[in-house]
Amino acid sequence: MSQTAVQNPDAKGTDTVLDVELRKVFKVFNGETAVRGVDLEIHQGEFFSILGPSGCGKTTTLRLIAGFEMPSAGEVVIQGKSMTYVPPYRRPVNTVFQSYALFNHLTVWENIAFGLRIKGLPKAAIAERVKETLKLVKMEAFTNRFPTQLSGGQQQRVALARALVNRPAVLLLDEPLGALDLKLRKEMQVELTNLHQDLGLTFVMVTHDQEEALSLSDRISVMHEGKIEQIGTPSEIYECPQSAFVADFIGDTNLFGGRVFALDASEIQVVTETKMKMVVQKQSASMSLNPQEAVVVSVRPEKIQLNLEPSCVQGNCFEGRLKHVMYLGTHVHCVVELTSGDRITVKQPNTFASLPDPQTPVYAYWTPKDCLVLACRDTA
Amino acid sequence: MSTQISSPPTPPTPKSEPQASPTAGRWLGYLGLLGPAGIWLGLLLVLPTLVLFELSLVPGLEPGGLVNPSGLENYLRVFEPVNLLVMKRSLFFAGGTTVICLLLGFPVAYWIALLAPTKWRNLLLVGFVLPLWTSSLLRTYAWITILRYSGVLNTLLTSPNPWLSNLGLPTIPRLELLNDWPAVLIGMSYGYLPYMVLILYASLEKLDRRLLEAASDLGANPIQTFCQVTVPQTMPGIAAASLLVFITGLGDFVDPELLGGDSTMTISRLIYNQFLKTNQWGFGSALSMVLIMLVSIAIALLLKFGDRSAAS
Amino acid sequence: MTNDLRLSQFYPTRRRFLKTAAAAVSGLALSSCGWTLAQVRPKPPSNKKTGANKKLYIYTWSSYTDEDLLKSFTKETGIEVIVAVYDSNETMLAKIQIGGGADYSIIYPSDYMVRQMRDKGLLLELDQDRLIGLDNLLPQFQNPVYDPGNSYSVPLSWGTTGLIYNSKTLKQAPEDWDYLWEQQQVLSRRITLLDDVREVMGATLRMLGYSYNSQDPAQLEQAYKKLVSLKPTIASFSTDTWKEQILAGDLLVSMGYSADAVEVAKENPSLQYAIPRSGTSLWTDTMIIPASAPNRDAAYDWINFMLQPAVAAQVCERLNFATPNQVAIKQLPPKVSENLSLFPKESVLEKCERIIPLGKFNQVYDRYWTQLTSS
Repeated sequence: MSQTAVQNPDAKGTDTVLDVELRKVFKVFNGETAVRGVDLEIHQGEFFSILGPSGCGKTTTLRLIAGFEMPSAGEVVIQGKSMTYVPPYRRPVNTVFQSYALFNHLTVWENIAFGLRIKGLPKAAIAERVKETLKLVKMEAFTNRFPTQLSGGQQQRVALARALVNRPAVLLLDEPLGALDLKLRKEMQVELTNLHQDLGLTFVMVTHDQEEALSLSDRISVMHEGKIEQIGTPSEIYECPQSAFVADFIGDTNLFGGRVFALDASEIQVVTETKMKMVVQKQSASMSLNPQEAVVVSVRPEKIQLNLEPSCVQGNCFEGRLKHVMYLGTHVHCVVELTSGDRITVKQPNTFASLPDPQTPVYAYWTPKDCLVLACRDTA
Repeated sequence: MSTQISSPPTPPTPKSEPQASPTAGRWLGYLGLLGPAGIWLGLLLVLPTLVLFELSLVPGLEPGGLVNPSGLENYLRVFEPVNLLVMKRSLFFAGGTTVICLLLGFPVAYWIALLAPTKWRNLLLVGFVLPLWTSSLLRTYAWITILRYSGVLNTLLTSPNPWLSNLGLPTIPRLELLNDWPAVLIGMSYGYLPYMVLILYASLEKLDRRLLEAASDLGANPIQTFCQVTVPQTMPGIAAASLLVFITGLGDFVDPELLGGDSTMTISRLIYNQFLKTNQWGFGSALSMVLIMLVSIAIALLLKFGDRSAAS
Repeated sequence: MTNDLRLSQFYPTRRRFLKTAAAAVSGLALSSCGWTLAQVRPKPPSNKKTGANKKLYIYTWSSYTDEDLLKSFTKETGIEVIVAVYDSNETMLAKIQIGGGADYSIIYPSDYMVRQMRDKGLLLELDQDRLIGLDNLLPQFQNPVYDPGNSYSVPLSWGTTGLIYNSKTLKQAPEDWDYLWEQQQVLSRRITLLDDVREVMGATLRMLGYSYNSQDPAQLEQAYKKLVSLKPTIASFSTDTWKEQILAGDLLVSMGYSADAVEVAKENPSLQYAIPRSGTSLWTDTMIIPASAPNRDAAYDWINFMLQPAVAAQVCERLNFATPNQVAIKQLPPKVSENLSLFPKESVLEKCERIIPLGKFNQVYDRYWTQLTSS
């Protein structure tokens, strides 16, 4: 049940074994559809994240895998076996719950031993595995404490240990770091990565924190309103969002609504609603666009350059005026109002000798390669 | 010394009274909050108990007799075999009722708290508590009507039953439940079940359902989850409800008297008899003191073992 | 403004209350070395009750009064009657001893209780000149053993104790106490005995050939053992509740008072009354005035009212207890006066005994009783 042979975690070819599959899964609660036809394939040994804003159905998706919810339609397959209606206690998965759900009537040791005791393992084996797992999460010193006597980070480790000690095929993590402060969260992120690499287990993590998802995951699926918007590696998701929602949700971006004005083999020209003309390099996401189709142009703030002089290089260069300048330490965050009336945000490395004054006339510039054009088919 | 160390850094003044007195004053002020209830308890609980204790030390005290505490004879009488038997029986009734109420009440409270549709919950609870709105005496009389020799239950059981006769089975004999211990257990359990359900409900409602999911996730089937998570988690509620039923049951007078017939003398009935029938006030007081001790022991046990998680 | 007023009114009241409470507490504490429990002092009659002269408080058995009786008294005297009831002499005594004597002007104790209360000084010696119609009583009630010369009490009713049985369901009718032991198989858990130590122990003693008032420990031990052997057959000890149960058919035999026997026989004629052959207890219920009674004039009025032959006859017929008033008996319809349950033959009465209080020896009875009812 828990063989989980260690694979090269980077291997994502079609030949790898699938640990979790969701096939056209729907979940309806009292007439509200939380999950609408989700298809997922999670490979053995990968760190997979489900990312989305709250209410997007990501936690429900995880609960469907864990077995706490039964799908209204569709199929859940774990390690090749259909588990759609199998109760949670017969699934080879374990969950690390949001805010941990530790048993406060049991000690740390008893919490971790819970699953093994239920399985009826001999005492010696339990003791050995609990000890081993305590060491893994560095909690050997807290064996006899009760959860209420532990800090948040320590509780997090116990929750991890309690799940891992059962050697599940898939480890499900529901917003595992959500309750921790920033510093602790960074530390635990590193530890999660290490654990994942050491154990070679399949991790499925639900989070609303895009940074966490981008830094930890092998692949990410972005969910929105019960549907999967995009599945891909962190860089695919960030660099090539396939919808305006993903572009907007992952990182910051400037979006301009408009229509396709002209197409050629390598470039697309778009006229925005505010009559700006933009040139965008053609990419896979924009292959199927038609002339006059309603589109959105997305430019990341860090890809925009601000100059005091108009730039003569071919590309997108617009005149504007600085509205706000926000000092962020490593970066300076600027809001620029273009002559067209659009407001854009620009993230500049902190190389200024002194911060520019608001109302300074500036020119915003970006190359066709640095922006994306996305069809507005689903998000209006 | 340790108090000085832990106190906030103050200049080493030998007389720390200026610091201490405002705190003490505030403390006394808060004590004033206890005033009304304190007077109430003092006059109506502590004082009468002390008087009762004094009476219990007067051997053979009758009403109108001189209260001159002089010995423990009354207490020695308490430990005569027949009185020990009565106490044992009282404990059996109270304990049996507690167990029955727990077995019947837990599933109900569990169902209402965790499984029933939310909008029905209050209605279900009210429905369960509804019997408490009628007089307990009336409810006991209702049980007499049901359990008696010619009562509702026996009429139902012994009425010609086509299924039984078709199967060639003999008819059910009349049950002689009234005037014996089963009737007492039935009556008491019925009377205290609502209290049990209410307290357990309050406890189960607070139960963190994610803990149930966590247990299920770790491989525990519903029965294992129930035994290893639900029960320990609601232990304070279980203990409180059981204690309430047990103590009330120990002092119950009406049910044993009306339903129990001739062989169900309990400690509370015995006390009643000492005061109102045989006029043995000294002995009655001693019995009362023993009853108070029994209840105190039950509470002490609860405080010591009832709530492990809260204690930690 | 109104709030301030109320506050200023409140404080003195509370202070007064606290002062009283403190006095009460210290009084108790100071005297606790040798205080008497609920000492009964004849209180001066409170003006609340005497001033109006309109209310008479009676403490009685539940079946001894009814609306009509009270109404006709009020009509005759203009005094309103308020009734409280008790279900055993001992309960009544306990209440009077803790000071309830000042609450009632008339109480109805049984014969042995009259003696007990008299010995404790709880009774008012009656002013014979104020009683009208005592000479109407049967000769044996003119000078009863429990209260010679009726100086503290006036007999109101009398009767016997016996067995009430269902003549339809029982093949063999009881004739004596030993019937209960012989028929244990048939009677299993369908009999009741009175919830009264002296009646139950006395009947057993009598069956064994001893006196109702035996003070011989060996005889008592023998009677107790006899009762223990009967215990599995007994459904309960009850003074009142058996009536409803025997009417419903739940019981086969109940030990009860003749007055109650007549009452249930009215409702179900197959419920018959047997006075055991070996003898039974003869009881008299009386009217007394507590030493601390308020409104004594009204109390005398009540006694005299009840002594009227016409009233006594009516009450006898309506409330089913035998009157000791021989003039009244003559006024009764033959159906009542010839009822052998109410007025047994002289030959039967000769074998009956009165229960008399035994002082300290009562405790021996009580011990056996506790033993019997508790095991």
